[in-house]
Amino acid sequence: MNQRPTADVCLVLEGTYPYVTGGVSIWTHHMIEAQSHLSFELVCLVPERAELEPRYQVPPNVAGITTVRVGSLPAGAKPRGLKALCERLEKPLLRLQSGGGLPEIESIMAELLPFGSNLGRRALLNSPEAWELILRMYQATYPESPFLDYFWSWRAILGGIFSMLLAPLPSARVYHPVSTGYAGLYAARAHLQTGRPVLLTEHGIYTNERRIEIAMADWLYRPAESGLTLRKSARDLRLMWFQAFAAYSRACYEAAARIVTLHSGNQHFQLADGAPQEKLAIIPNGVDYQRFSILAHQRAEHLPTMALIGRVVPIKDVKTFIRAAAIVRELVPEVQALVLGPADEDPQYFAECQALVTYLGLEECVEFTGPISVSDYLPRVDVLVLTSISEAQPLVILEAGASGVPSVATDIGACREMILGGPQEEPPLGPGGAVTPLANPTATADAVARLLFDPDYWKRASQAVRERVRLYYDKPSLDRSYRELYEYWRGVPDRAPAEAISSKDAA
Amino acid sequence: MAGIGFELRKLLARDDLIGIAEGYGHAAIATSGPWLFTILALSAILALGAPNAPPSELAVFRLIIVYNFSFSLVLTAPVGIVMTRYLADSIHAKDVEQAPAALLGGLLITYAAAAPAAGALYAWYAHLGRLTFLAAFVDFLLIAGIWTVSVFLTALKNYRALVLSFGLGMALGIVSAALLAGPWGAPGMLQGFNIGLAVTLFSLIARIFAEYPTRASRPFIFMPYFRKYWDLALAALAYSIAIWADKWLMWLAPEHQTLPIGFVSFPEYESATFLAYLAVVPSLAAFTLTIETSFFEKYTRFYDDILRHVSYGKIDANHRDLIQSLMEGARNFIILEGSVVFVGILLAPQIFDFLRISYLELGIFRLGLLGAFFHSGLLFLLIVLSYFDLRRITLAIGGLFLVTNCIFTLATLKLGFAYYGYGYCLSAMVAFAAAFLATGHLLDRLPYQAFVRGNSSVAQ
Repeated sequence: MNQRPTADVCLVLEGTYPYVTGGVSIWTHHMIEAQSHLSFELVCLVPERAELEPRYQVPPNVAGITTVRVGSLPAGAKPRGLKALCERLEKPLLRLQSGGGLPEIESIMAELLPFGSNLGRRALLNSPEAWELILRMYQATYPESPFLDYFWSWRAILGGIFSMLLAPLPSARVYHPVSTGYAGLYAARAHLQTGRPVLLTEHGIYTNERRIEIAMADWLYRPAESGLTLRKSARDLRLMWFQAFAAYSRACYEAAARIVTLHSGNQHFQLADGAPQEKLAIIPNGVDYQRFSILAHQRAEHLPTMALIGRVVPIKDVKTFIRAAAIVRELVPEVQALVLGPADEDPQYFAECQALVTYLGLEECVEFTGPISVSDYLPRVDVLVLTSISEAQPLVILEAGASGVPSVATDIGACREMILGGPQEEPPLGPGGAVTPLANPTATADAVARLLFDPDYWKRASQAVRERVRLYYDKPSLDRSYRELYEYWRGVPDRAPAEAISSKDAA
Repeated sequence: MAGIGFELRKLLARDDLIGIAEGYGHAAIATSGPWLFTILALSAILALGAPNAPPSELAVFRLIIVYNFSFSLVLTAPVGIVMTRYLADSIHAKDVEQAPAALLGGLLITYAAAAPAAGALYAWYAHLGRLTFLAAFVDFLLIAGIWTVSVFLTALKNYRALVLSFGLGMALGIVSAALLAGPWGAPGMLQGFNIGLAVTLFSLIARIFAEYPTRASRPFIFMPYFRKYWDLALAALAYSIAIWADKWLMWLAPEHQTLPIGFVSFPEYESATFLAYLAVVPSLAAFTLTIETSFFEKYTRFYDDILRHVSYGKIDANHRDLIQSLMEGARNFIILEGSVVFVGILLAPQIFDFLRISYLELGIFRLGLLGAFFHSGLLFLLIVLSYFDLRRITLAIGGLFLVTNCIFTLATLKLGFAYYGYGYCLSAMVAFAAAFLATGHLLDRLPYQAFVRGNSSVAQ
């Protein structure tokens, strides 16, 4: 189905590069540039109705981009044998909703592939045969739940599955999904169909993010609670969504040869979602140590300074930073507290922060700089402070660390590993700052004050964090990790596709 | 974690759920109402004896009225059905501000079509005196106007006003026609009848402006509906031509008459079939009532409950209820209509004796009764289908009725007088059978139809 020669790597990207900006997109872009000796295929999974406008200049070693709209199926024909197909699909689809994974995807594909390109929404979603399938699955799983919501959920979930299994598949030596979810499902299918290995990189834990989103969803109707009735209450349809995404994750974990993430905190969730321990690996994001290391020798005379680098938005919890600054000032009256980053994204939150500064009488102490170049400021910062309530692996800690600035950060994502060292660190380098509980200005202030008060402690922390970044977070060496991974798995000899599929593959 | 995944909400476009409830009920009375009125009016006029009018003048009057009713019904059918659809949607959206404007626009379109048609018919085809021409022309316009205006009151379900206007106008028209017959002959009768029609038309218009007291500003707002619902317009056109096709084609029979004014007619065939139509009036009225009350309630509950997020068990129960209510309606229809037709066929000679009609028409009358039985059954099913917005199927059935009526009637013309009447009767049977199969198929899988096939939010 693909005219282009087999690529070295096929990146499977869901809702990100090159159409959406953000951390994962930047990571992807750098990854492709860093592996310039390899050819890449991109499979970009996007929402059905999304408008697509590339935000990045795709590097020349990208051989092709395949855009797949999740849930969007071609019209297709209504082939002979549709009734039997819908009957045979029922079991694996139901198992997929109750702990299933890769074997179920394999069964489903084994049913679909003999029909070739005949199948589309007319047969799989809109036919009377498919309607019977909806009714049977409804009766088997959620017989009391609101049928309208079940109907749309069923269509969205099965449309998503079928669109992943029937979409064009570029030929590649290694399939590399950058999340589980639909990207993971697509990669699992690629593995089954081609026999080629799958490398998974998870930045955040996809199923966790979906769980939070579904729990807060207001687009699913929930019947009013009626506490006194004895009527059997309907099973919550949100479960259906949870289970769908959990199944995609399991299928991807089962198909993957390596499951890479940014820090060990994520691995607990991966294990809980069914990832086998022996496949797990950590490759953090890195920074250019050389570039930031120079700043360590350019330190200028300055007043004691704590700084938060980031946008002024609620997720960064800038208010805790301001409160902490007020406490630090009690101990170090001349302290400067800088908020380095754009303040125009959430004007109301920015106004609240300014009001808090006035209320606490910190006009002399706290300064909002707006957008700045980090390298210009780092030489006059003593402690980097991060009060965010959610992060994956904030690179500012590494940038500051490379230039010898210790950090005080909330205990989220990879912060603990970056500041205190991970389990793989041998010998231990010692703390490069401190981690604190969330939304706790006193704890933040205590940690900052200790670094400002105790020059020896500061020096030890500064050296520890610099060394840690040099050894474990230097971008060129991390790029090498991926290079080696790719090199190994690319060279793995061809294996036959999954048996059930190859025997029925019409192509 | 910016960048990974995308909102689930985008996978589940909730705004679209309403797609299921589109095409809300319309058009029940819109189709049966004018037909009832036509049958009653024409029967009254055909039976009308004006003791002081010469028979030749009476014949001219009758024929002009038959021509005007039949041609205006056909001409206005597409406009009427499209406006019904527009109004039903406006009422469903609770925004009827543009209704008076749409009325003006509808009348303008009606007259833009009716005036040249009537002018051509009476100026070139017929040889009428100036007075008769004028009266016939005005009569055509009045009747065409009434069809268009009555759409608004039926869409509003304001049947009382409708019945009152029609009853008053008809009574007045028939009385003044009889009074003016003596001194003025045919033009006098026509003008007398026009007085009644004018009362009906203008009281209907007054009623509408009282109901929608907004200023008319965008008279052609419903024009896009013609493009969107061309199949609906075409179905209405096919069906209304089909109703008249056998009568028009029978003018080709060797037994036809040509009046001095140039009009052809086949009075035996026409009076026999109109008499037969009279027999369906009670069951048509009773059935319309069933549709409007019991069925409409079940229909509404079926769709409303879906949107109220009930379980499939409840949807299934509502589905059964809805079929049950249609079955009851059908049963009542068959019993009532069936006995009328049965008695009519048995007692035809006695009825003819009583009305002093020629026995020559007996066969046509009996076949007409049987045809009318299936024809009203067909109308019954077409209305049910229109509730579910199955426009293509409605179009196919209307087309089938038209084509078979033409072919079968032409065949009976070849076969001779003994076969007259079989064409219409057989065609009504065939069209009824087709509609029955289509409706049965639809009702059987109504939930599938509602959620998938008839849901505009589902990519087909």
